[in-house]
Amino acid sequence: MSCTVHNVPIRGFLETSFIDWKGCLSSVLFTGGCNFRCPFCHNPELVLHYNTMEEIPLEHVILTLRKYKKWLDRIVITGGEPTIHKNLFYIIGQIRAEGVKVKLDTNGSSPFMLKGLVNDGLIDSISMDVKGPVDRYKRWCGVDINTKTIEESIQFILEGTVEYEFRMTVVPFLHREDDVYEAAEYIRHAKRFTIQEFRPHNTLDPSYANIKPFSPDKVTKIRENVEQIMAGSNEQTVVGRQQSAIKKPMHINTQRK
Amino acid sequence: METTDLNLFVRTSEESIADWDRSKIVDALIRETLIDRDTANEVSKDAEQMIRRSGIKVITAPLIRELVNAKLIEKGLENTRKMHTRLGMPLYDVDSLILHPNKENANVPHGPEATNLTLSENIKKEYALLSVFSQDVADAHMNGDIHLHDLGFIDRPYCSGQSLEYIKKFGLDLPHSLSMAKPAKHPEVLLAHLVKFAAALQSHFAGAIGWDAINVFFAPYLEGMSNGEVKQLAQMLIFEFSQQAVARGGQAIFTDINVYWEIPQHFVGVPAIGPGGKFTGKTYGEYEKEAQRFAWSLFEVFKEGDGAGRPFFFPKPIVHITEKFFRTDGHMDFLNLISDVAADKGNTYYVFDRGETAKISECCRLSFKLDERDLLDAKEPWRMRYCALQNVSLNLPRLAYLAKNDDTQLFNLITERFILAVKAHKEKRVFMEKLLSLGEDGPLALLTMNRDGMPYLRFNLASHLIGMVGLNEMVQIHTGEEMHESKRALKFGIKVMAHMNLLTDKMRRQENMKIVLEQTPAESTSYRFARLDMRYYSPLSGRVVKGDIASGEVYYTNSTHFNVKCAMNPIERVTSEGIFHPLIEAGSISHVWLGESHPSYEAIADFVIKTFKHTTNDQIAFSPEFTTCNKCHRTSRGLADTCSYCGSPDVDGITRITGYFTKVSSWNKGKLGELKDRYRNTEYFSETKKKAVNE
Repeated sequence: MSCTVHNVPIRGFLETSFIDWKGCLSSVLFTGGCNFRCPFCHNPELVLHYNTMEEIPLEHVILTLRKYKKWLDRIVITGGEPTIHKNLFYIIGQIRAEGVKVKLDTNGSSPFMLKGLVNDGLIDSISMDVKGPVDRYKRWCGVDINTKTIEESIQFILEGTVEYEFRMTVVPFLHREDDVYEAAEYIRHAKRFTIQEFRPHNTLDPSYANIKPFSPDKVTKIRENVEQIMAGSNEQTVVGRQQSAIKKPMHINTQRK
Repeated sequence: METTDLNLFVRTSEESIADWDRSKIVDALIRETLIDRDTANEVSKDAEQMIRRSGIKVITAPLIRELVNAKLIEKGLENTRKMHTRLGMPLYDVDSLILHPNKENANVPHGPEATNLTLSENIKKEYALLSVFSQDVADAHMNGDIHLHDLGFIDRPYCSGQSLEYIKKFGLDLPHSLSMAKPAKHPEVLLAHLVKFAAALQSHFAGAIGWDAINVFFAPYLEGMSNGEVKQLAQMLIFEFSQQAVARGGQAIFTDINVYWEIPQHFVGVPAIGPGGKFTGKTYGEYEKEAQRFAWSLFEVFKEGDGAGRPFFFPKPIVHITEKFFRTDGHMDFLNLISDVAADKGNTYYVFDRGETAKISECCRLSFKLDERDLLDAKEPWRMRYCALQNVSLNLPRLAYLAKNDDTQLFNLITERFILAVKAHKEKRVFMEKLLSLGEDGPLALLTMNRDGMPYLRFNLASHLIGMVGLNEMVQIHTGEEMHESKRALKFGIKVMAHMNLLTDKMRRQENMKIVLEQTPAESTSYRFARLDMRYYSPLSGRVVKGDIASGEVYYTNSTHFNVKCAMNPIERVTSEGIFHPLIEAGSISHVWLGESHPSYEAIADFVIKTFKHTTNDQIAFSPEFTTCNKCHRTSRGLADTCSYCGSPDVDGITRITGYFTKVSSWNKGKLGELKDRYRNTEYFSETKKKAVNE
């Protein structure tokens, strides 16, 4: 179809999303391929069969971004795992040249790429998935990896100046409740840690589709406990999918009688 | 008497058993029809003979009447038979009506009151088709060329826009009521008056009752109240309207409340009416802060939802986004709040009033620019009472079946049907005039009461709505493509609507009637038209009706909307659907179905601002879906088979059917088909992914 000079397999492009960049309208670009095999992954086609999926030319993405310029000026680069592609620099560079802000979704397995992208000023925001406590990462992500990379990425994000959030999908049976707290403890200085509910739908390991998600009460409880843990640090942390509180105009705020 | 030899008892309609008396047949024929006495005698004798031969011992009056009708037909007296017709329902139908819920309108619960409503609606419907409308109009309705909405309410206007100022100024003083209340002195009393008046209006109108600038008109009563008290009042207002499902037919009052963050320009200099119906000495422009406090509180209540965390079904809050809105302090905060409600509960309707000309919302989201006369009205806002007499929708796909790809033929057919719809309006108008001319002694006394030098219902200003169903399918049949599929198809759709817009203009002048195009909500009409076309225009219709033919869950796409199933970028949807809105004066809306996804309010607010700035879209709403548990009384996001809190299967799905939220279990089959199809803006990617994998 198209000649992929940049060598990044773009396998999906969502023009408008209300939910992928918290608080903003954004487009979403999906790259194919992933170095993880998280059993609960809800995008298995992108991980396993991306080669059979239709290639979306970068030119199409660029033209669409131009077309909707009045509406949105942000894009989320997600996957798969974008950072496994060395030429990610190139496509993000092209996109930024359009005056579009970029958020990167990553599993943190390539601190090298992450640092490079950030140091080149290509990234405005980072969402990093924390799959669970670092000591048993193979259990969460399905492959043997050097957990030093994960730790290095977390450290880099925490110390950097780029806006970020950490996210964790909590999966019944895979995670014990304590695993969530352990992970939270590890990144307790983070500004934002989002607890995501697991959805038993189209999972990479088909047996995970039969897992019943936690009840909303349970998730609320977990979020509260995580908030407690994070509150132990001096930073103000936002947990869960809660959003910033709505400001009341002055005259409505002031009590009168 | 020659009839006494027939030994027969008659069960009369007056709950008595009488001896056979042939002369009663003659009397009825002469009383009810234009037949002469000799022929009447002859017919009665024929009927008597038939009964005699049958050897029957007890006979009912309705059966005698039908036997007489049979004889009239034999004699070729068709007109006489029509006048002699009896209206009613078969035993079987009444039995199932009493036992099973009515699905034509999801806003009717199941209960004795609802059954009464349906029974009377059925008879009035028959009455309307036989006696209010001419044969060709009635036939066109019966075979699904057009749809005359709310025929069961033939003796009422369709919908209305009201002003709270009327009851503030005149109190609650209704004709033939048991007591009279002077203008309210306290906000709670004003609220009580409002709710009772709304209930009274509900029994005089078929459809929606809208209230203009409700937070503005409440404002003078709120001075000195604490924020907590204002919130309490907002809570009372919303619960009162959402729990009014105890009045007519057990139906909630279909209520719209129009809310403004700013004081609309045409009310700024208007003297405000306060407690006791007296002018406060200030103008509404000076009550901006109070009006804003009330608007804020209303939306705080909508955000909380009802006792089980469900969205309120009524009242529907309509927020006007205007140029002045963006110049008013705190508008971003308010936009965030109402967008939070939209994301979380879905209640908020955003109506876009662009440009600086003064506009007003009538009923059915019909907004119009104020001309000089209206601006005079605005100075005395209690005069601002509007109504639409009737709504008639055209079955557009059918015209495309008939036109057989011939453009001239198609546009000609549209014109013909349009003229037929206008004829239906004229007939309804004549009938309403008759009822209203009886004044305060007539059935519509409430609408004729005269407190300010004119009758409550301003008949000369009444609108007549003409709607459309299935533009998308019409275009699909005619051009081979749906409107989202190509520019050519979209252009053709626009051409059709431009033609209808032009017809509206011409007919308005020719008939001197306020004829207005509307996007019909078509809750049951889109199903009815599709079903009838499946019967009459198969196999052609089978290729274009939407939904699932095997299960009978078929429908046409509403009004000028795009296919609900198509995975369409929401920006594209509001922009492209919005192209039609300037051509349609009333009721235009674009829906963004959210499913279980929960966007942030900032993203919604951003989208709303851009829709205002970059499109011609008139109105948008965001619709989430919910599952509410009848066991643990809690509500979660998304449509599910079991409660995600307690696991109980005793759950109800809740989402927007057309213009309001309701339980999915009450939906008709066509709407259920549509619900399954609705593209929820979350699956866009997985859909394209799957497509790619399958290829």
